[in-house]
Amino acid sequence: MPRPARRSLRVTANVLGVLAFLVAVFPVYWMVNSSFLARNEIRNPVPTWVPFGGSLDNYRTVFETDQFVNALKMSLMVTLLTVFVALLFAFVASVAVSRFRFRGRMSFIVVLLVIQMIPVEGLFISQYKMLEAMDLLNTVIGLSLVYVAQVLPFTIWTLRGFVTGVPYELEEAAMIDGCSRVQAFFRVTFPLLAPGLVATGVFGFIQAWNEFTLALVVMTREDHRTLPLWLTTFTDVNRGTDWGGIMAGSTLIAIPVIVFFLIVQGRMVSGLTSGAVKG
Amino acid sequence: MKKTLAGAALAALALTALSACGSDSSDGDNGSSGDSTPQAADIRVWLNGTDTPQDARDWLKKTFEEQNPGSTLTIEQQEWDGLVEKLTTALSSESETPDVVEIGNTQAPTFTGAGAFSDMTDQLGDLGGDDLLQGFVDGATVDGKTYAVPYYAGSKYIFYRKDLFKAAGIDAVPTTMDEFVDDAIKLKQANPKPANFSGFWFPGQDWRNGAAFIWDAGGDLATDDGGEWSGSLESDESIAGLETAQKLFTEASGAPKDGNEADPWTPWCAGEVGMMSTPGWVTGLINDPKSGCPDTLGKQIGVFAMPGSDGSPAPVLLGGSDIAIASKSQHQELAQKAVALMLSDDYQTILAQNGLTPAKNSLASLLGDDEYAQATIAAASNAKLTPAAPGWANVEGSRVLEDLFSAIAQGGDVSELAAKADEQMDSQLNG
Amino acid sequence: MSDTAPRPRRTALPYVLLVPAIAALLVALGYPLLRQVVLSFQDFGLAQQFGRPPEWIGLDNYRELVTDPYLWRVTLRSLVFCLVNAVATMAVGVGLALLMRHMARSVRILLQTGLLLAWAMPVVASLTVWEWLFDTQYGVINYLLTQMGFDFEGHSWLLRPLSFFFVATVIVVWMSVPFVAFTVYAALTQVPEDLLEAAEIDGASAWSRLRHIILPSVRPVLLVVGLLQIIWDLRVFSQIYILQKAGGSTHDTNLLGTYIYRLGIGGGEFGMAAAVAMFMLVLTVVLTSPYVRAMLKQEGEA
Repeated sequence: MPRPARRSLRVTANVLGVLAFLVAVFPVYWMVNSSFLARNEIRNPVPTWVPFGGSLDNYRTVFETDQFVNALKMSLMVTLLTVFVALLFAFVASVAVSRFRFRGRMSFIVVLLVIQMIPVEGLFISQYKMLEAMDLLNTVIGLSLVYVAQVLPFTIWTLRGFVTGVPYELEEAAMIDGCSRVQAFFRVTFPLLAPGLVATGVFGFIQAWNEFTLALVVMTREDHRTLPLWLTTFTDVNRGTDWGGIMAGSTLIAIPVIVFFLIVQGRMVSGLTSGAVKG
Repeated sequence: MKKTLAGAALAALALTALSACGSDSSDGDNGSSGDSTPQAADIRVWLNGTDTPQDARDWLKKTFEEQNPGSTLTIEQQEWDGLVEKLTTALSSESETPDVVEIGNTQAPTFTGAGAFSDMTDQLGDLGGDDLLQGFVDGATVDGKTYAVPYYAGSKYIFYRKDLFKAAGIDAVPTTMDEFVDDAIKLKQANPKPANFSGFWFPGQDWRNGAAFIWDAGGDLATDDGGEWSGSLESDESIAGLETAQKLFTEASGAPKDGNEADPWTPWCAGEVGMMSTPGWVTGLINDPKSGCPDTLGKQIGVFAMPGSDGSPAPVLLGGSDIAIASKSQHQELAQKAVALMLSDDYQTILAQNGLTPAKNSLASLLGDDEYAQATIAAASNAKLTPAAPGWANVEGSRVLEDLFSAIAQGGDVSELAAKADEQMDSQLNG
Repeated sequence: MSDTAPRPRRTALPYVLLVPAIAALLVALGYPLLRQVVLSFQDFGLAQQFGRPPEWIGLDNYRELVTDPYLWRVTLRSLVFCLVNAVATMAVGVGLALLMRHMARSVRILLQTGLLLAWAMPVVASLTVWEWLFDTQYGVINYLLTQMGFDFEGHSWLLRPLSFFFVATVIVVWMSVPFVAFTVYAALTQVPEDLLEAAEIDGASAWSRLRHIILPSVRPVLLVVGLLQIIWDLRVFSQIYILQKAGGSTHDTNLLGTYIYRLGIGGGEFGMAAAVAMFMLVLTVVLTSPYVRAMLKQEGEA
């Protein structure tokens, strides 16, 4: 390949990347911008582009009560539990379906697919009844349990793709070098799965973090609210919705996702390099 | 602030005296006083949003716990957003159900017919009887049994720009529907700028305000013909009302033809509104420096109740909240006591002092006698409810009326559109 | 099933490994699903929810459903919407993931952060902001277009169904691209670098490297992500729901998601809602079956 083509590809990629960044980020910028504005500046015939003269009033409202901190704790518990359990369960299941051949394997894969296709919109009423019967209403475990089930099929499917993507010969080679099968798996294959674990982990994190409908009916006690439920305290049909508060709250809600990603991103990079060395 | 606190304290004192008599008489009804003392328990009360002032909450908790030694009362604040979903699930669970719930008066019929609430017919007399706002009681009554009682009311009335009225040569507020429509058009013509100026701000989806024109013309949204409901938008009276609405849409309103009525203070403060029909609490937002424009257009607010064709207030949509007892509650008797407290004169006085129309007619004067209070009382005096058809929730859910009014706002053929909407409603109204 | 396993051996290990996942799925989804099927054969409304015994009505819910011509119009509309959105999302998402390999590191991290921010934005906030951006009177988009000299003052983006669905597509694609781009990019990092280098030395063009090395190795992930897009876009709900509140005609813009909601849950008719949900399940299965077969065939070859 001649060099110029490569360079032009690189330039095009960079330009498109910046453009895509701008489009992706504009609504986010608008949210943050609005969170510093007073209510009468947010919607106005002439838009306010930069929150000059803006204030921290909306953020002050957020921290006026301990509701935000409470909801943050609740959301963190539910989400981390969900991500941890889902990744663990999905990981072992994906190893089973991609490294073994056994009766019922195809059926399991097909069932996973069909589960994905079931519309969940109306399911919350039955899920409520089930959690009621198990005495798990208003509990972190109850909510997480349902979230785990909701993200499991996708997580298994995706991880399965990643496990299959690692050539089995690599493991065999390691076994020839004297590793046991389990050792070979954890030395060779596991590091290569890091990107998959990160991608599915972020997926599970965001799903659990932002879920609303089920949390709404399951977590009815004020001190058990998750963050999306807490956000609704800013909407009030009889007082007018406090958009500034919603935007400030949403900005705060988005931050832990970014932090989570940055942490696992570091892991992903280190996982990649170590995998490359061993591979 | 101090004043209301003192008021609340005084009210609490007064009630202790009052309730002493009250409980004596009820003891008498039940025979021995020992039997009537229900087992102590924690009563959970769901109140929505921040409508109920803190004073009232404190008073309710304190008074209830004084009167029912050993029992406690917990107020759990819920949000209007998602309330129906939450009630649908929680009210069906014996272990999780709240004992007393507040619910929007237009949401109540969904649940009253379904057995979610306890029958309160026997207590109606003690709770206020004929003094209770009748429209609310009617709306919560199915087959002669009443499942919810009014909590507070609040109907929309007209806000107008005093300066623009003067500039357009309108000396007095309109007193009939015809004058109202004429004034709205006159305002629009007198203010060619901005282009989206509204003599009467009327976004296309706003059927809740639009219903007033139908009712004023003698029409209705739907009628009950011996247990069989059908849409009645095609009747001559309804068509006349819809034509009035179309006139306002096309000649007086600059609001989006397919928009909704949210955040009316935004166009008001942008100087785009001559008149608008909104709930009273919007004044608070216009006069708050963070959300409105207190120093400029906030100073120009005048209010009146929308006039009807016959000169009395027009029938507008009744707004407000009901209070009900969950049928699955394990503490019916204590829940009844809590409801009784919430409808007591003292509690309702606190609500009235905070600008909410009390649940009893006799307390309406507590709102004061300024312009706002007068408009509130007048608007509520002739207010109407949406049809009590079993399938009304479906009509609202499928947004037939939003579509209808928005199509009318765009200048569509009124009778054709009304016929189409009637057809859709016919299949939904009977559940 | 297949005997072409890497190492055929009879062992209980795979079953043991599946136990946690199966248990979680059974507990959390098994009963609700079963109940959903049962409900679809019952006249189950709010009254039944509060204790009145439900009446078995056989296929009545389904009969009412399929004889309503409106349902078929909504279904067709949903299929077209789903296809356009899934294709657009996959094209943009996979395109960005591929481009990320060629970007400067700083640009890539910038883009990834931007995508993540968009993904992490709470739905309430993102839908509200999009609604504001397209607002008829105070929308930034109308404002900018007007400033540029176009006549967009007071233009209603939602009034005409086609324009309504254009706005909806912009929002749906914006919301789903981060997921696709991230997952596919993660899969791309697995493509062996030395293989690509060897191909380049052998004179393979960029296009043929993409076709013969890159795409085949990320195929499993592409298939599952694509399938998810089809499933999600077929039952898209909140975006349409919020836009309908903001403007346009509900009757002309209902998709299956909002229709189910308005028919069942919004009106408290759970039996009916369950029937629509089953209808949608069958529709999805039928719609995706060629696709699924392709996935399974690959499964057999693997």
